Amino acid sequence: MARLRLRYYAVQNVPLLLSLGLFVAMVILYIILFALKQSRLPGAFELLTTVNNTLSVGLSAIGQTFVVLTGGIDLSVGGIVDVTNSVAARYMGDSPGSIALVSLATLAVGAFAGLTNGLLVVYGRLQPIIVTLATLAIWEGIALLVLPQQGGSIPPALTAILAGTLPFLTWLPNSVIIAVLLVAGWQLLRSTPFLTGVYAIGNDERAARANGISVARAKLGAYTLAGTCAGAAGLYFAAANTSGDATSGTPFTLTSIAAVVLGGVSLFGGRGSAIGSLAGAFILTLLLNVLFFAGVNTQLQEFFQGLFLILAVVASTLVRRSLQRAR
Amino acid sequence: MKAIEGVALSKSFGGVVALRRASFAADGGEVHALVGENGAGKSTLIKLLSGLYPPDSGEIRVNDATVHFARPQDALVSGIGTVFQELTLLPFMTVAENLMLGREPRSGPFIDRRKLITAAHELFDDAGISGIEPLELVGNLPLAQQQIVEIVKAVSRKPRIIFMDEPTSALAEHSVDWLFGVIKRLRAEGACIVFTSHRWNEIKGIADRITVFRNGEWVATSQAAELSEGDAVERMTGQRLDVLFPKPAPVTDQTQRLTVEGVTAKKLPAISFGARAGEVLGIGGLAGQGQRELFLTLFGVNPHTAGTVRVDGAAAHLRTPQEAIRAGIALIPEDRKTEGLLLPLSVRQNLALAVLKRVSRNGFVRRAAEDALVGSMVTSLAIKTPNPGQRVGALSGGNQQKVLIGRWLLTDARVLLLYDITRGVDVGTKRDIYLLIRRLSEEGRTILLYSTDTEEIAHLCHRVLIMREGRIVSELQHDLTPEAIVAAAIRVPVAS
Amino acid sequence: MRPLAIAAALASSVGAGTLLFSSRVSAADAPKLIAAASHPPPYKIALSNSYIGNTWRVEMVNEFKAACAMEPLKSVATCTEYSSGNDVSKQTAQIDDLISSKVDAIVVNAASPTGLNGVISQACSAGILIVSFDAVATNPCGIKVNTDQIEFGRKGAQFLVDALHGKGNIIEVTGVAGTGVDQDRNKGAEEVFAKYPDIKVIAKYSGKWASDEAQRATVQQLPSLGKIDGIWCQGGTDGVIRALLDAKRPFPIPVVGEAENAFRQYMIEYKDKGFKALSIGQPPFLGILSLYLASEVLQGKHAKTDVTIPFPSVTQDTVKEGLTTFKDLPGSYFVDFTDSGPNASVIVCKDAVLHGTPCPGTLAVRL
Repeated sequence: MARLRLRYYAVQNVPLLLSLGLFVAMVILYIILFALKQSRLPGAFELLTTVNNTLSVGLSAIGQTFVVLTGGIDLSVGGIVDVTNSVAARYMGDSPGSIALVSLATLAVGAFAGLTNGLLVVYGRLQPIIVTLATLAIWEGIALLVLPQQGGSIPPALTAILAGTLPFLTWLPNSVIIAVLLVAGWQLLRSTPFLTGVYAIGNDERAARANGISVARAKLGAYTLAGTCAGAAGLYFAAANTSGDATSGTPFTLTSIAAVVLGGVSLFGGRGSAIGSLAGAFILTLLLNVLFFAGVNTQLQEFFQGLFLILAVVASTLVRRSLQRAR
Repeated sequence: MKAIEGVALSKSFGGVVALRRASFAADGGEVHALVGENGAGKSTLIKLLSGLYPPDSGEIRVNDATVHFARPQDALVSGIGTVFQELTLLPFMTVAENLMLGREPRSGPFIDRRKLITAAHELFDDAGISGIEPLELVGNLPLAQQQIVEIVKAVSRKPRIIFMDEPTSALAEHSVDWLFGVIKRLRAEGACIVFTSHRWNEIKGIADRITVFRNGEWVATSQAAELSEGDAVERMTGQRLDVLFPKPAPVTDQTQRLTVEGVTAKKLPAISFGARAGEVLGIGGLAGQGQRELFLTLFGVNPHTAGTVRVDGAAAHLRTPQEAIRAGIALIPEDRKTEGLLLPLSVRQNLALAVLKRVSRNGFVRRAAEDALVGSMVTSLAIKTPNPGQRVGALSGGNQQKVLIGRWLLTDARVLLLYDITRGVDVGTKRDIYLLIRRLSEEGRTILLYSTDTEEIAHLCHRVLIMREGRIVSELQHDLTPEAIVAAAIRVPVAS
Repeated sequence: MRPLAIAAALASSVGAGTLLFSSRVSAADAPKLIAAASHPPPYKIALSNSYIGNTWRVEMVNEFKAACAMEPLKSVATCTEYSSGNDVSKQTAQIDDLISSKVDAIVVNAASPTGLNGVISQACSAGILIVSFDAVATNPCGIKVNTDQIEFGRKGAQFLVDALHGKGNIIEVTGVAGTGVDQDRNKGAEEVFAKYPDIKVIAKYSGKWASDEAQRATVQQLPSLGKIDGIWCQGGTDGVIRALLDAKRPFPIPVVGEAENAFRQYMIEYKDKGFKALSIGQPPFLGILSLYLASEVLQGKHAKTDVTIPFPSVTQDTVKEGLTTFKDLPGSYFVDFTDSGPNASVIVCKDAVLHGTPCPGTLAVRL
C-alpha cells in the first residue's frame, strides 16, 4: 500500500521531482566550479550567503505559488515587498517589543495587500493579471511615501535572528532552519481542506463550485497568504540588508514567477508544490553563483538566465512527455 | 408530497432564453426521465434545481418547502446530488480526492490521507465497482471511467434527490446495466431520480414517468408505459420522425481506399484491415478496447512504431495530424470543445480554418471566396445559426458538431474518422448527422465510425469490426443488429 | 553606532569574520587611519556595477577596464568587472561570490544606496575594502568617491547669472524626479537664482536626463513661453537646443547643461556668434578614480577616506575638438569621460572609452 502510494506520488509529481533534481544538479555544479576556481570547497560563509540570498525570493515564490495554484498570477508581489520592506526599515526600533510588533505589522500589511487583491479578483470579477498589475503600481507608490529616501534601519538583533547563525552551531545558518520550517509548514498546509480547495478551483473552478467548494473563500485565502508571504519576504530582505529601500523589491515580481515556473508549478493552476517553488528560488541563486564562478561575462548573465529558464522548462516538458508515453 | 418541484422557472443567458416558465415535479421512489432535444432546457432545469445558478424567476421547492439556492453547496445540503453532463471532476487530483472533496476524513484540522484512500475503496466496493485505482489522477482515466467516478461521487452522498444529466452517454453497455442497478436500488430506498438520455430504449427500460421539454418549455408528463417512441419524438420535435436511421448507400466502387497493415502503437498490437471507397466501416466492441487509440493513431496524434497505412495505395506518413490531413485523413472527435472547435471564433472562421490556403491568395484571405464556401456549407449542413459571423460557442451542441463536420467536408479528406460524434446530440440533429454520413459515403469517402450507441453502428454501417484489447476479433457484414454486435463484443475469444 | 553593532552581529554570525573584527572597527572609528592590505601587491580588485543599459555605464565599465591595464595600476592590480542589473538581490549574490573569491577590494556602483548594506558589512568583516561611487552605498564601513551635486547646480546657475548680467527670463529643465541627484542639483541652482531678483524662472519642467525627453517637453512648453534669455538644464541639453532651433527661437542664448557630445558640438558651431555655454558632467571616470583610490589604500599610500572630486567642465572657450568633444561620436555620448585642463583628475583617450583598451603611456590620477 505504502509503496503503491509512493509510486503514484512519484508519477504524479514528476515536475516537482525534476525541479528537486535540477536543484541538486546545480548544487553539485556549483561545488565543482567553486572548487576549480577557489581550490577549496565552499564552506560556512557560502552556505550562509546562498541561503540568505535565496530566502527573500523563496518566500515571495511560495506566496506566488498560492495564487498560481488558483490559476491566477500575482504581479503585485514586488510592490508588496517594497512596502513591507519600507515599513520594517522605517518603524522598527531596537526594543524586543518593537521588533515583534513591527514584524507582525509588516506581515499584516502584506496580508492586507494580498486580501485586497483577493477581494478585487473575487468580488470585482476582474482578471488577476489586471488587478495585480494595478496594485503593483499602487504599492510601489505607497512604498515611496513610507520611505521616500532609502535608509531606515533594522535592529541588529533581528538581522542576527533571521540572517545569522545559531550561537552554538555557527556553521548552521538560521535561514536554513527557516527554509526547513517553511517546507514543513507547507506539508501541513497541504493536508488541509483549505488548500485542497485551492487546488480544486485551480483544476476547474466551475467543477469545484459544483462540488460545494467555496471559490470565494479559497481565493481570498490564497491571495491573503500570498500577500503575507510577500510581506515576510520584504521583512527578511530588510533584515538581511540591514536597512530599507522602497524600490528594491520590484524585481521580486518576475523572479518569484521564474522560481515558480522552475519549481514545476503549472501556470494554468491546480498542479505543483511550493516546495518546488522554493527549490526554484534556490536554482536561480545558484545559477548566479555558477555563472560567476564559470567566469561568464556578466553582461551576458541575463541572456544566460533567460536561456536557462527556457531550457529547464523545455527539458521538464520533454521528460514528462516521454514518461507519459512510457506508461 | 413532491420530493422536488420547480414552479414557473425562467432563465436567460445573455438574451437567449433557456427556460421559459417551466414547471416540473418528481416524487420520491420514482425514476423520472427528462427528454427533449439539445437546447430544450433539460440541462438548464437541472442546473437551477442543483443550485448551480439561480433562476431569473420562479420557485424551487424541496419536500413542499420553498428553498433558495445561492450556490451548489446549498443544494447539496438539502439532499440534492447531481451528475452533471459536463463532469465536475478535477483532472489533476486523484480519484480519492475527487470522491471525497469537501468531506475528507480528518484527523484534527488535517486531512487523513490513509483514511481518504480507504474511504474511496469503500465507496467503490459499495457501488460494486472494481478496477478504478483511487490513487490515480482522474485526468488519466478514460472518459467512461470518469463518468463512473462522477456517478459514484454523487450517489455516495446518499442524496434524497438525484439528477443525472446524460449519465449513460459515455458509458459502455455493461456499465449502463450497472448504472441502472444503482438507480433501481436508489428508487427502492425511496430516493427521487431524475435523469436525461437521448437513448429511447434506456428511458423505456428504467423510467416510471417521462417529462418532455421543447424550446425551454414544459410539454407533457406521462407514465412511461403510456408513451411510445414515436409520440415522444413527435412531442420533442413537434413533428413525427418515422425513420430515424437512413439506409446506408450501396457501395458501388470496389477500390480499396484505406489499407492498414500491421500498425503497432500504444494499446494496438499490430492491427490490419482495409476499407473500400464509399464504405462506412463500424468499429465496435466494448468501450476502451483500443478504438480511441486506433483513431488517434490513424490521425497521427499517437505515433505508431510499426506497420503502414495506405490511402488509395499511397503510403501515408502519420507522424502529426498535419501529415494525416495531407494524406487525406480527417478526425472528428467526441469532445467538440477541447478537440477541434474554437468556441470564441465565428462559424465562418471555424469552417474555413482547415482550408484557409484554398481561399487565400498571396497570404491574404479572399473574403468573397470564403463567404461562398462557408455559405454553401451552412445551407447544406442545415447549421442553425443566425449568420456565419455567429460565435460557435453560442450554438447548440449538435450544431457545433455540424460545424466541425463541415470543416472537414470542405477539405479533400478521403478517409473520415468519426469518433462518437453524436454523443449528447439531440434527436433532430442526430438525424441530420446520419444523413450527412450517408452523403459523405455517396461521395465516395471512406468512413470509420465509432459510437457508444450500438444502434448507430448497426444501422449506419456496411460492415463492422469488433475490437478487443487492441485487436480485431471478428467482422460482421450481414444482419447488422445491435444484438449481434453486442453479442460479438462480449463473446469470449476461443483459445487458439 | 548602529551600523557597527550590525556589523558586529554579522561578524559574529560569520565565523570567519570575527578575527578581522578589530581592524575594521578601528578603520571606521578613525577614518584617517592608513588601512593597508595585509599582503603585498598584486591586489584583486573587482568592479560590481548594477545597471548596464545606458551609454554612461558602458563608458564607465570600459574606462575601468582600460585603466586597470595601464601603469601604474597594471603592476599592482588584477581587475574583473561584473554587472548585475538594477536588482539588489543579484548584486548582493554577486558581491557574496566576490567575498568567497577573496578579492582585496570591490568598487561598487550600487543598485540601492541602502540595499547592499548587509552584504557590504559582510565584505568589510572579511577584510575587503569597499569603494562605492556614483550611486554610492551608505554603509559607513566603505568609502565613497563622488561629486557634489549641489555644487553642480550652484556652479551652472552662477555661470548663467553672470552671462546674463543678473537679469533675464530663464527656463529650468530638471532631471528624474524623486532622485537625490535631481533634488540636490535643483537645490544648488535655486539657491543662486534666489539671490538675483531680476532673474525670473519662467518655466520649470523635467527633461528626465534624456535628449529626446527634454526635446519633447521643451516643444510642449515653448508656445506658452515668451522671450527666453537663458537655459539651465540638468540633462538632455542638446534636445532643448534642438527644440529652440526648430521653433526658430532666437539663438544663441546662454545655456548651461550636461556633457552631451551634441551640446558641445553646438558650442563649437555657435561660438563665433557669441554663444555662451557651460557643460558640466557627472564623469564616467569616477570608476577609474575609485579603482585608483582602492589600490592606493591597499598599498598604504592613501588614507581610507571619502573623496569628492570637482566636476569636469568646459565652456565655449575651452571646449576642444578631439579632446572634449568628438565630431565622429554619437550626439548622445557623454564626452566628459575624460577630464581636461591643468588640474585634471584624469586624462583618458577615446579608445579606452569605446573599446576598453589601454591608452598609450601611464595613467596620471589626481585624487
